[in-house]
Amino acid sequence: MSKFQRFLLKRLAISVLLTLIAVSVIFVVLRLLPGSPFEALVTSGNLNQEQIDEIRAMYGLDQSIWAQYVNYLGSLLTFQFGYSILRSQPVWDVLEPRLINSLILLVPALVTTAILSSVLGMYAGWNRGSRLEKFSIVSTTLLRSTPVFITAIFFIIVFAYNLEIVPALGMRSIRATPDGYIETFASLDFLHHYILPFTVAVLYYSGDFLLLARNGVVEKRGSEFLKLHRAKGLSEMEQLARAGRNSMLPILTYFTLRLGMIFQGLILLEVVFSWPGIGRELVLAIQQQDYPLVQAAVFIMALAVIIANLAADVLYAYFDPTVSTNGGGSA
Amino acid sequence: MSTETKPKAELYERIDSLWTTVRDQFAFLRGDPLAFGGMLVVGAFVFLGLFGPFLAPHDPIEHTVRGDGGSVLRLAAPSADAFFGTTAYGKDVLSQFLAGARPTLIVGLFGGLGTGALGFTVGVVSGYYGGWVDELLMRLTDLTFSLPFMPMALLLLTFMTPNIWLITAIIAAFLWKMPARVVRSEVLSVRERTFVKSARASGASDLRTMLYHVAPNVLPIGFLYTAYGVAWAIAAQASLAFLGFGDPTMTSWGRMLRQVFASGNMRVAWWWVLPPAIGIAAITTSVFLIGRAYEEVINPEIQTDQ
Repeated sequence: MSKFQRFLLKRLAISVLLTLIAVSVIFVVLRLLPGSPFEALVTSGNLNQEQIDEIRAMYGLDQSIWAQYVNYLGSLLTFQFGYSILRSQPVWDVLEPRLINSLILLVPALVTTAILSSVLGMYAGWNRGSRLEKFSIVSTTLLRSTPVFITAIFFIIVFAYNLEIVPALGMRSIRATPDGYIETFASLDFLHHYILPFTVAVLYYSGDFLLLARNGVVEKRGSEFLKLHRAKGLSEMEQLARAGRNSMLPILTYFTLRLGMIFQGLILLEVVFSWPGIGRELVLAIQQQDYPLVQAAVFIMALAVIIANLAADVLYAYFDPTVSTNGGGSA
Repeated sequence: MSTETKPKAELYERIDSLWTTVRDQFAFLRGDPLAFGGMLVVGAFVFLGLFGPFLAPHDPIEHTVRGDGGSVLRLAAPSADAFFGTTAYGKDVLSQFLAGARPTLIVGLFGGLGTGALGFTVGVVSGYYGGWVDELLMRLTDLTFSLPFMPMALLLLTFMTPNIWLITAIIAAFLWKMPARVVRSEVLSVRERTFVKSARASGASDLRTMLYHVAPNVLPIGFLYTAYGVAWAIAAQASLAFLGFGDPTMTSWGRMLRQVFASGNMRVAWWWVLPPAIGIAAITTSVFLIGRAYEEVINPEIQTDQ
C-alpha cells in the first residue's frame, strides 16, 4: 500500500468513527429532552391509553433505550428516518424537497462567490496598496463579520420594503401551485424571489475567498518563480495567472469545507427569508419537538460536514505531497 | 545572583518585554486608520456594556411609554417622548438598546476569552508533545468540527433553559477548534527551533519549556484568534437570540431584532430595527478590522501597505 492509500484508509476510518460519535451525541441529547411531542397530543386530543400505547409502539418508544439506539443506527444507514410526528408523513418525504430548496439556493451562490471573489481577490492582491484593494478588504470584512441575518434584514428593508423591487418572503408567490421541480424552479416568479437571498449569500461568503486569494497572490508575488517568469518576459496578466494558479489549493480546500457547512451556516438566512429549506425546517421541528425530523435534519447536516472535511483533507494531501500524509492529516 | 531571585528577575524582564510589545501593538493600531476606528467602536461598546443599563432612561421591559393623553405609545416614531421611538408593546427602544449591550459584551468577552484560552492550551500541548497526545487532541477537534455548531447549539438550548453563561459555554465549547489548529501548526515549527531544543537539552522540564520557550512565541497568534473569537461569539449569540434561543430574562440586541421580526413590524418600524442591527454589525466588524491589522504585524508578508 502506498503512503497515500494508507493515509486515505486511515482518514476514512476516522470519518466513520466521527459519524458514529456525532449521531450518538444527537441521540443522547434528544433522549434527554424533557417532555415528549405526544404529551401535547394526549392533553389536547381525545386519545385513550390504548391509542397512546399504539402510537408509542409505532415510534418504537416502548422498547429499551438500547434497542431504540440500535434501531436508530440501522435506520440512519438506510436513510429510513421514520415518521414525522407532527406532519404524519415519512421524514424523508418532508426533508427531501426542503433539502433541494436549500441546495438550489446555496450551491449556486457558493460557486458564484468562490469564482467572483477569488478572481477579485487575486486582482486586488496583485495591485497591492491600491484603492481597490483597500475598498474590497473593508467591504468584505464588513460582510463576513456581520451575522448574515442582519445583512439580510438591511437588504429586505432597502430592496423589498422601500424600493419594492423584490418580494421579501418565501420562494414562490402564494398563489403559485407548481407541480414538480422543473415547474417550481424554472419560472420568473421563482427567480424574482430567488435574487435577494442569493445575493445576500454571495456577499456573505465573498470575504473569506477574497482574502484567501489576495493573501495567496501577495505571498507569491515576491517569490523566485515569478521573478523567473518576469525575466522570461511574460506580461503582468500572465504572471498574475501563474501566481493565481499557485494559490488555488487553499481556495479549493476552503470551498470544500464551506460546502459542508452550507446548511447550518444559512439556517438564519432561510429563517429571515422564510425560505422553505432544511435549516428553517429544523428550527420549526425543534420548536415543535418533532424528534424524528430533528434527528434526521441534524444527521444530514453533520454528515455533510464530515464528508466535506474528509474531501478537503484528501484533496490537500493529493495535490500537495509536501503535506505530511502520516501525521494528523488535517493540520 | 542567588538562585532565589533569578527566576523572579527573569519574570520581571519578561513582563517588561511583554509590556513593550503591547505598547508597540497599540502604537501600530493607532497608525492604521481602520483599526483605530475599530478601537473607538470597541471602546464605546465596552462603555455601553458596563454602563448602558444605568444610562437607560427607563426599564427596558417594565416601563411603558405614554403620550400626553396618557395612552400607550405603540410603534411611535422617534420623538421627544422616546428618542429612538417605541416598540409594538410600547417600550422605549433607546432603553432597550442601551440595556441590550450588556449581554452582547458578556458573551463576546467571555466567549472569546474561553475560545482563545482553550484553543491555545490544546494547540500548545498537542503540538509540543506530538504522538498519541496530539492524535487524541486533534481527533477531538475533528469531532467538534463534525458536530455542526448551529443545530447542536439549538438542540442543547431546548433541553436546558437558555441563560447567558450557558450560551457562552456552548459557544466556547464549539469554537476553540479554530485557534487550536492554528496554534498547533505554529508550535510544530517553533518546537524545531534551536532555543527550544537547547532548553530541552539543558534539562528544562516539559512544562517549563512549554511555558517559557514555546508559548511566548505563539502568543500573538493566540491573541489574534481570541480577538476573532470575540467577534464569532457575538455573532453566534445574536444569531441564537434571533432564532428565539436567547436568554429570556435579558434584553439583548439579537432579541430586539427577533421581536421586531416576529411581530411583523420590520416594514414600518425602522427605528426599532436599526439600533440593534447597526450595533451588532459595528462591533463584529470593528473586532475583525483590528484583528486584520494585527494579523499583518504577525505576518508581514500580507501587509496592505508595502
